[in-house]
This record gives sequence, structure tokens and C-alpha cells, in this order.
Amino acid sequence: MARAQSVVEVEKVEQRRRWWEFWRRFSRNKLAVVGLVVVFTMFFTGIFAPWLAPYSYTDQNLDAVEQMPSLAHPLGTDELGRDQLSRVIWGARTAVIIAPTATFFGVSLGLLFGLLAGYYRGWVETVIMRLADILFAFPGILLAILIAATVQGRIEAWLKGFEALEGFVKAGFAQVLVVIVALSAVGWPGMARLVRGQVLSLREEQFVEAAWAIGARPWRVIRHHILPNAMAPIVVSISMSMGGAIVAEAGLSFMGIGIRPPTPSWGALIIDNYSFWRSPAAPVLLWLPALIVGAMVAAFNFVGDGLNEALSPG
Amino acid sequence: MVTYVVRRLLWLPFLLLIIGLITFALGLYGPGDPVLVMMGQHANPEAAARVRHELGLDRPFLVQYADYVWKALHGDFGESLKYRGQPVGRLMAKRLTVTVQFNVVVMAVGVAVGIPLGILAALNRNNLIDYFIVLLTVAGISLPVLAIAPIAMWFLAARFHLLPSGGWDGIFSRRIIMPTLVLAIGPAAVFVRQTRANMLEVLDQDYVRTARAKGLREYTVIVAHALRNALIPLFTIFGLMLGGLVGGGIITESIFGIPGIGRLVWDAFGARDYPVIMAYTLLVAMAYTLANLFVDVCYRFVDPRIRYG
Amino acid sequence: MALLEIKGLKTRFFTEDGVVHAVNGISYDLEEGGTLGIVGESGCGKTVSVLSVMRLIPEPPGKIVGGEVLFEGRDILKMDPDDVRKVRGNRIAMVFQDPMTSLNPVLTIGRQIDEALELHMGMDKHQARQRTIELLETVGIAEAADRADDYPHQFSGGMRQRVMIAMALSCNPRVLIADEPTTALDVTIQAQIIELVKRLREDIGMAIVWITHDLGIIAGLAERVIVMYAGYIVERASVKDLYGDPRHPYTIGLLGSLPRLDETRKRRLFSMRGLPPDLIDLKPGCPFAPRCDYVIDRCWEETPPLEPVTLGHEIACWVDVKSSQPSKPAN
Repeated sequence: MARAQSVVEVEKVEQRRRWWEFWRRFSRNKLAVVGLVVVFTMFFTGIFAPWLAPYSYTDQNLDAVEQMPSLAHPLGTDELGRDQLSRVIWGARTAVIIAPTATFFGVSLGLLFGLLAGYYRGWVETVIMRLADILFAFPGILLAILIAATVQGRIEAWLKGFEALEGFVKAGFAQVLVVIVALSAVGWPGMARLVRGQVLSLREEQFVEAAWAIGARPWRVIRHHILPNAMAPIVVSISMSMGGAIVAEAGLSFMGIGIRPPTPSWGALIIDNYSFWRSPAAPVLLWLPALIVGAMVAAFNFVGDGLNEALSPG
Repeated sequence: MVTYVVRRLLWLPFLLLIIGLITFALGLYGPGDPVLVMMGQHANPEAAARVRHELGLDRPFLVQYADYVWKALHGDFGESLKYRGQPVGRLMAKRLTVTVQFNVVVMAVGVAVGIPLGILAALNRNNLIDYFIVLLTVAGISLPVLAIAPIAMWFLAARFHLLPSGGWDGIFSRRIIMPTLVLAIGPAAVFVRQTRANMLEVLDQDYVRTARAKGLREYTVIVAHALRNALIPLFTIFGLMLGGLVGGGIITESIFGIPGIGRLVWDAFGARDYPVIMAYTLLVAMAYTLANLFVDVCYRFVDPRIRYG
Repeated sequence: MALLEIKGLKTRFFTEDGVVHAVNGISYDLEEGGTLGIVGESGCGKTVSVLSVMRLIPEPPGKIVGGEVLFEGRDILKMDPDDVRKVRGNRIAMVFQDPMTSLNPVLTIGRQIDEALELHMGMDKHQARQRTIELLETVGIAEAADRADDYPHQFSGGMRQRVMIAMALSCNPRVLIADEPTTALDVTIQAQIIELVKRLREDIGMAIVWITHDLGIIAGLAERVIVMYAGYIVERASVKDLYGDPRHPYTIGLLGSLPRLDETRKRRLFSMRGLPPDLIDLKPGCPFAPRCDYVIDRCWEETPPLEPVTLGHEIACWVDVKSSQPSKPAN
């Protein structure tokens, strides 16, 4: 009994040591730390948007349209007199919902298909990888657009069936869901290819062969031998695809799909205010959301670099 | 080698068939009835039904698709629903020339700027020049066209009137400068990053040390021994961009008013002009696949390890 | 005057984890036509010491922080880069450990030899290729004229090492530095390469520095041997003395871990305990002390200098192994 306890104790210490070592290596990359701070700021802003935003994102004030920044409106107002700062803050909430969920579903599908393809080989691999090839050959964002356009009506109709959700539907929940579905469907092939490649090279490693030789079940081999060793590139790619999701959302907004007014998203803010490109208010109305999108992509890339250095051996 | 190319080419029809099927299905089951878009929301239902029948849109899905494939094999991609009476093929061909010209210029600028900067950064590893180039690269990779375009347009067109804000007048007109600047930043940044990374890796290789041990000049070591090895992997990126050459930037062409294929698709999407969207999807898928094949074949010529491997 | 004189050479690497003390003040001479062996475990500074001689240490993170390298009386470390290049590949040539990675994969082997000839011997392309083919024949490559147009991956490891040797010999160097040239090769190929080098040494009359961790190779090749440990020279002797009468506990350990054919009595092979020290925080005192069976208190405090025990036989050790017993029994 005492012995068992001490083993647990040792494992705890060991785990803490590993986390410390991970952090030490991650934080050696200063840009990664900066990226992490930016990412945390986005999550904080998104989660606490209702308390942080000085105004409602829908409140129009037609007496004060297209105002330059002032004390009352630190980032000015848009063409309908809505407070730009509040809309940017609420945009963070949309990003915080979309980026992790779309990435989560895309990565889960990719992980599943990649593992199946790499592990079982044969026809399973052929079917999955051919499907990935097909999705890759689709022109850029067009597939996401087509999927989004197709599922939009259905999702809205489906959500109408839930009386209690009525408020959510109005708040753009359906639009957000559409974007998530579209981005997940488009996002998985990249991950599947990556995971399959990892599995294929790990299969050749001696420790995997050894696990096989002693008769370990497939799931055990995957869980204990393949996944831990394929972790670094997967985690890095997760981080990078979060930034990608934010850009892709902007692209969908551009095509008039997904997040639509009045729901604020950074992408929608860029598109809605694009006509102000000549205006002196362009820096706050147009550049700011655009630069935020760029900054988020950079931040997620930095975090990805840091994770890569912290997770890869050596 | 020949077998390999043939096998890859045989896959192409299947690929196009499946991609066509998916697009066709998404188009047919998607929202926005093209007939209603064409005739307006309050069109006479009988008239709408008549138009629908004329266009063959009331037939079963698979029959419609089979008909489409059959005609497509004969070079007939249908008529545009937006520009009535215009064959999609001719419509696309006209726009394609614009897109390809524009993208060739963009790619040339991207390569011409990106590769030398990448080499420069690698040779100055971890000093100020390197940091500065890496910083620019990060910005170039992170900022989407949607972010760079308004800023460039504001400074160069709205504020200081240095350049026209866009439009199209052929590749030798001043109008092309702004869109090229904005669009080339991304590819240039990708080339810088990849060239720098490859170069750093190659400079650490044993054979570079061998070259130095021979007493070669630093210039010869870099140009004759390191550079070639560092540039070979760039072909992959080059191939991906080549595939995107015909796709055009939907966003870029729309922002800058370039009458290319991306702009055509943007308009087509608004009008639910599915024949155009179908043809576009097939075209891009084919270009992507052929570009990848082309790169694979090229590798055999530039990398002796693969040629004789 | 010796052909190559190294005096107090010190090389450090300034890394994120700390300063690596790779070479810590080593000195040795190489006579005209002589052969010197340098032995030691991996990571003991053998390779870094010879790369420093050629000024091939990547800088940063490496830096030669002290010492002189006198070649024909001139200090290589003080030459301007152009003069160093005139020495490299021309007067002092080098063969590296891994023939699989030491040749440029995208250039033909002929081209890779030609360029040294064009550079140092002022030959034109035609003369250079002529000479290249002769060289390839000399090192035993069949159909040399055709094979000169082949790429490195079309050769086996042993053949590539022959190509490397041909390249090194192309300008008739005064010194050939061979950095474990046979480690990556099969045993039978190893023997062929060693025979080849011996033959060429007779023909060309160059001096050789041969680095290895294999004491067996050195015995048949070198006249004098240096044993390195943790960036220091711990023993220097003629081959005969080193094998017959090793005086440093580390050398004794190394030799004890070799199987011998001439032994009549069965004996357990000795295996040295512990690991070489971390060169980042090298503690004062003898670097071998933690692994040494003869260790005394003084070893932990002062680093022993290299001092003669008999004529032409030097060790860096505070203990006379002849008159003391191991403080700990060998396992």
C-alpha cells in the first residue's frame, strides 16, 4: 500500500518535472511567449466580451455615424453609428468560438482518418487518401463556400426546431455553426496526410515492431507507441490551423457566407467597412480588424514554433 | 517513369468526375434557386417552371450530371446563367488569359524577391539583417491579402496618389503595380522562409565542409555547392503556386477590379451561376493535379538522386 | 623544424546551454613524412582539434580562443582568409568520417575533384579531368573515365571514401588529415582503405594525421600516438611504448577493453565505468578522476600537466601506475 502510494508520488513529481522542462524549452523562444500572451488576450477578450465592451455591438446611433476616435468612442463609429471598439471586442468572441471548434473537428477527423490510413494500409488507406487528394484538388476556399452555402439553410431550419434556442439563432449561432461545419470539412485532409506520414515512418521504428512482436493490440500500439511520438508535428499543426481558421472565416465573410451583419466577426468587420478604404477613418474601421487577424495568425504561428522546439527531441 | 506519369494521368478523369459530382450536388442541393435569381423573387411560378424545364433543371440529379459530363466531353460546358447565351467555355477562356498573365507577374516578383532575400538571411544567420528579413517574412506570411490591400491602397492611392488603386490594362500598365505588390508579398514571404531554412540546413552539411576543406572561395562554396541543394526543395512550393495560377485570387481580383477568372467566379457565386462554378472547379482541380505531376517530373531532372534512384 | 607544430590550441563552442570546452590547450608536432595517430572516445575533441588546424570550425558558435598552428613555420591561425584557402586542400588535405554525406549529391564526382585542381594547380578543364581520371585509377576505381561523370549516390560507401581520398590527394598535399575515415565502413573495406593509404604514403611521401577510436588500426599505421580525453592530451608515446607500456590509467583502460589474439589465458574484458565528462562545466582537476581506479586526492584539485616519464613517452597523471595499486578493484 505504502509502496503503491510512493509510486504515485514519484509519478506526480516526474510529471511536474516534465511540465517544467517543457515550459523551460518553450519559453526559450521569446516570440513564442509573446504569441502565447496574444492568444491568451484573445481568449480573455472573447470570453469576457459582454463585460469589456462599452456598448452593445448592435446599438446604432444614427446621430453619430462615421465618427473619428473620441473619448466616448475610442475607435470611432461605423456607418450606422455603432461603436467600433465594442464590435472589435465582440469579434474576439466569434473568433474564440470558431477557431478552436473548427480546428477541433478538423483535427479529430484528420487524426482518425490519418491513423486508420497509416495503420491499416490496404484499401482503407487508398480510399481515405484518395478522398484527401480530391479535397486538396478543390480550388482553395471554394469548397468551404459551397459547403457553407449548402448547409446554411438546413442548419437554420434545424435550429428553428428548438424553441429555447431561438435567441441563439438570432445571435448568429446558426451562422457560426455553418462556418464551423465548412471549415472542419475542408480542414481534415491536411491533418490526415500529416498523421499518416508520421504513422508510416513510425511503423518502421524498432519499438513499434517490438510492440507488435509481443502481440500488443492495434489500439494499444497506436496509443502508447505511435501517438506520443507523432505528437510534436500534430500539436504544431493544431496551433497553426487556429490562425488559419480566423483567416478562412474572413474569406467566407467576403463571399457573403457565414457570419453576416449585425453579428460582428473580424472578417465581417473588414468586409463591411471595406468601402471606407479611402476614408481617413480607414485605420480604425478597416485596418484594425485586418491587422488583428494578421496578428492572430502570427501569434498562433509563433506558439506553433515554440511548441515545435519544446516537443521535438534534442 | 513513363508508367508513373501514365498512372497519374489515368487518375485525373476519375478525380474530375468525382469533383464534378460533388460540386454538382452541392450546387443542386444548395440554397438559392438560379431560376429565381435570374427572374427575381416574385416571378410567376408557371413561368419559372417553364424556364426550369427549358434549362433541364427539373430532371433527376444523375441524369442531369450524366448529361453534363457527356456534353463536357465534347467541349460544351453549358451556358452561363448570368450572361445568358454565352458559352461558359468562351467566357472562361477570355478571363483565364487575364488571370494567368497577372499571376505569372506575381509569381515572378515573388521568386525574384523571395529567393535572394532568403539566401541573404541565411548567410547572415542571427544578425540584424537576418532578424529584419525574418520579421518582414513573418508579417508577409501572417497578413492576409484582405489586410494588406486596404493599407496599401490607402497609402499609395488614396493618400499620396502614387499609383492607381487597381483595374486592368494588361501587364505593362501602371495599374498592375498595386495588385502585384499586394499579392506578391505572400509568395515572396513563403520563398524567403523556405529558402532560408533550406540554406541553413545545407550549410550545415558535411559536403559544404568538404568544399571549404578543398580551399574553395566562400562564393564558390555557396553558389556551386550549397545553393543548388537548397533550391531543389523549392520546386514543391513552386508547383503548388503553379496550380493556383489559373485559379486566380477570388478576393484579390474582386478587390482590385481585375477582370480575371476569380472575379468571374465571385460574380457567378452571387448569381448562383452553377455552370460557371462547375467549370471553374474542374479547371482548378485539373491545373492542380497537372502542376503536381509536372513538379514530380521536374524533380527527376534537377535532382540526380531521384533520376538514378 | 617540424612540418606542422600545434602549440596550446584551445577551441570553445559558445552555445545556449553554456560554453563547451572542446579542446583545452593541446600541443603536438608532425614531422615531414611522419604518421601520427590520435585516439580517444567520441566527443573527446579529436575532430574539433583537427578542424581547428584547418580553421574549419563553424564560427559562431565555435571559436579558437588560443594557441598557434605553425605550418612550415607560418601560423595558420594568423593568416588572412585567402592564404588559409591556399593551404586548404592544397598543402593540407582532409578526408572525413562519413563518405555518405561528405560528397555533394548534386555534382558529379569528377566535377568535385576537378575544381580543386583548377583552383590550386591552375589547370584548365581538360587537364583537370585528365588528372582526375588518373587519380581515380590510383585509388582503385575501375573504368575511371566513365565513372567520373557519375553522381555520389551511384557509388558504395567504400568507393566514395576512395573518391574522397583521390580528392584529398589531388594537389599532392604535404599533410593528409584523416578523420576516422574507416569508421563508417565494413571491416573488409576498412582494411582495403588502410592499405591504400599506406601505399600512397610511400608513393607521395606526405605526413598523415590519422584520427580514430580504434586502437587496432593505429597499431599498424602510425609511429607516434596521442591519446585524448575531454579535450586534453593524456598520453603521448611511440606505438611500441603505448601498447607495451601504457602509463595513463585511461590508456590502460582503453587497451584493457580490447580483445587480444595473442593471449593464452582467458581473461574478462575490461569495461570502463562511467561516462566522459560534460564538457560544458568541466570541473577543475583531472578530467578522468571520476572514472579512475588510481585516483588520489590531488587529482580532484589540480589538472596534471603532460610530463615525460621516459624518453619520448609523456603522460598527464599525478600517479605512477607502476608503483601504485588500483584503489578500487577493476570489475
